[in-house]
Amino acid sequence: MTGFGCRRLAAAAALGAAVWALAMPPGALAEPPDIIIGAVYPLSGNAAPIGHDAQMALETEADIINGHDNIPMLLGQGGGLPRLGGAKIKLVFADSQNNPQIARTETERLITQDHVIAVIGSYTSATAVTISQICNRYQIPYISAENSAPSLNQQGLAWFFRPSPTDNDFSAAMFDFFRGIGKQTGRPVHTVAIIHENSVFGTDSSRIQSGLAAKAGIKVLADISYQASTPSLSVEAERLKAANADVVLPSSYTSDAILLMRAMHDAGYTPKAIVAQDAGFIDPAFLKAVGPLAEGVMTRSSFALDATKTRPAIPKVNALVKAHDDGKDLTDMTAREVTALQVLADAINRAGSTKNTELQAALKVTDIPGNQTIMPWVGIKFDSTGQNTEGNPVIQQYQHGQWHTIFPLDVATAPAIWNVGE
Amino acid sequence: MTAAIVLQVAIGGLLMGLIYALVAAGLSLIFGLMDVVNFAHGELLMLAMYATFTIHQALGLDPLVQLPLIALLLFGAGAAIYRGLIARSLAVRFNTGMVQVFVTFGLSIFLVGAAQLVFGSDFRAISDGVLSNRTVAIGQVVLPLAQVAAGLICLLAFAALVLISRTEFGRALEATREDREAVALIGIDRDKVFSVGWGIGGAAVGIAGVMLSNFYYISPTVGSNFALIAYVTVALGGFGSLPGALIAGVLVGLVEALTALVMDPSLKQVGIFAIYVLVLMFRPRGLFGRL
Repeated sequence: MTGFGCRRLAAAAALGAAVWALAMPPGALAEPPDIIIGAVYPLSGNAAPIGHDAQMALETEADIINGHDNIPMLLGQGGGLPRLGGAKIKLVFADSQNNPQIARTETERLITQDHVIAVIGSYTSATAVTISQICNRYQIPYISAENSAPSLNQQGLAWFFRPSPTDNDFSAAMFDFFRGIGKQTGRPVHTVAIIHENSVFGTDSSRIQSGLAAKAGIKVLADISYQASTPSLSVEAERLKAANADVVLPSSYTSDAILLMRAMHDAGYTPKAIVAQDAGFIDPAFLKAVGPLAEGVMTRSSFALDATKTRPAIPKVNALVKAHDDGKDLTDMTAREVTALQVLADAINRAGSTKNTELQAALKVTDIPGNQTIMPWVGIKFDSTGQNTEGNPVIQQYQHGQWHTIFPLDVATAPAIWNVGE
Repeated sequence: MTAAIVLQVAIGGLLMGLIYALVAAGLSLIFGLMDVVNFAHGELLMLAMYATFTIHQALGLDPLVQLPLIALLLFGAGAAIYRGLIARSLAVRFNTGMVQVFVTFGLSIFLVGAAQLVFGSDFRAISDGVLSNRTVAIGQVVLPLAQVAAGLICLLAFAALVLISRTEFGRALEATREDREAVALIGIDRDKVFSVGWGIGGAAVGIAGVMLSNFYYISPTVGSNFALIAYVTVALGGFGSLPGALIAGVLVGLVEALTALVMDPSLKQVGIFAIYVLVLMFRPRGLFGRL
């Protein structure tokens, strides 16, 4: 190519670039600013495994919204938030150390220093109390991903939103299950023994379960509370063994769930049925630690990994989470974290703005059909307290090394193994 | 509540108490020797448990087989902490006590963070050891084999500690404890005595860690579950007293178990601390303290 030709080509290119630039609307060349969302989780301390998985799940969902994975669910097509010019979600994490006081100061730091427009959290209900209150004070939405204590949305906070069912719904599902399985097998539940850790989560859970048992005419033979992260649960196991109820109902975090299963085994006690309030019992670390002792354990869950027929997004989302998080499948926790960010991103998108009042207004009119999510719920719609009214839980059982949905019967993927009354 | 349950719970409490005692023994030894409270003591327990777990994963060695190895490893860790940190903090000319407190406290935070970095925060457990998930039944009492073995090993470790205290080195330890300046005049190397003392303290907690890993979960913060009880045990038994640590440990284990049986288990530490407060009020030097 001659020198002249080269110059002419350069001039043509410059002209072309100028025309292209003029043709574009102003501002379109600049990327829209990132949307910064805070996430408060226990990243160190005793609950750190759950916090770590939460971080991986939230990052995966942010990647789905920002990227191009083309997943058949709301905002699954990727490319950022369409109504904000393809703005990308950016997450900032803070470590609560599973301590309510640290959760409070860390949330405040996220709001004042990192200028997050909303906060997602926080695994334990005790930390959610302080986080939700501080968010309310700064008028920033708090999306409660997996906190299940029913009292959280009864605090009268206008900035609290919880897509997940609460322990009210979960416990109600357990007792519906007892009724259903009793009719089906002719071996109903007559007695239960409750064991729970003594913070907000366990205390709320035991209170509801006692109430529901009384209504169902089921006798509570023991109601044992213990301090979380205790060095030993053998006496507690001994008391459960002495009660020998039809069903043991534990509400425990991972470390105590491991101890409890081992302690019951060591006491020579195999409960006829264990129906757990989720939490520690669905942590993959729990299953690894107790191994075969987990066989037959039942738990309430808000997520069903095997519901792929009606929720076609599950396999792809699961594969992405797995690749992100050491080969761990989606769990009831991580699925709810993915969904929490999806709900928040949808509201930001519909608001078309990051202004707090517009975001709050958009969250209030959230209406996502269940099949646009990975959850087996009817959908997501908030009531005046910020609680989703369309989230319906399922009961799962650990059979042959895998979780299977056993109730409600219309979504069940395996029959329940039911030893009560035998 | 039947007699069998009470007996079962009491024996369980006794076995747990022996482990508390051995964890406390190392702490007590170091305190008695040089008036330093090692705030990283629980983290040494955690290190021993992770070491056991890692060797078990990598080489398939049963925790029981690893006992001498881990004891040696933790002996080294204890001695290294003395040489690397404590000896240096002794050289500080002001507020020596506080400096030592902060050094060991800082070390504990560092070790927890380092464990989380290296091993991750997931709970681990050894569930395929020789003792894992096995029980023995004696009449109506069912006991986990791993805890029975842990209790026996703890008793053996205590016997070894008593024997050590009767050797020439034991007498050197005693002399150094009495007057650390004077022993230099009769040719005892103070630094050597101290570092061996720290080593023995580390080995004791190491043995407790190996036995615990047979039935307890392992996580970066597992040490703190036992450290608080160890401090109470040491204060209860009397700082620096080995028999004190043994008896106080067993007492704490029994009181904890029986409180959990008759009261709400979430209050089981109330029993321990009630006894602790009573001892502080009426016998501040602890049950066997000489100070």
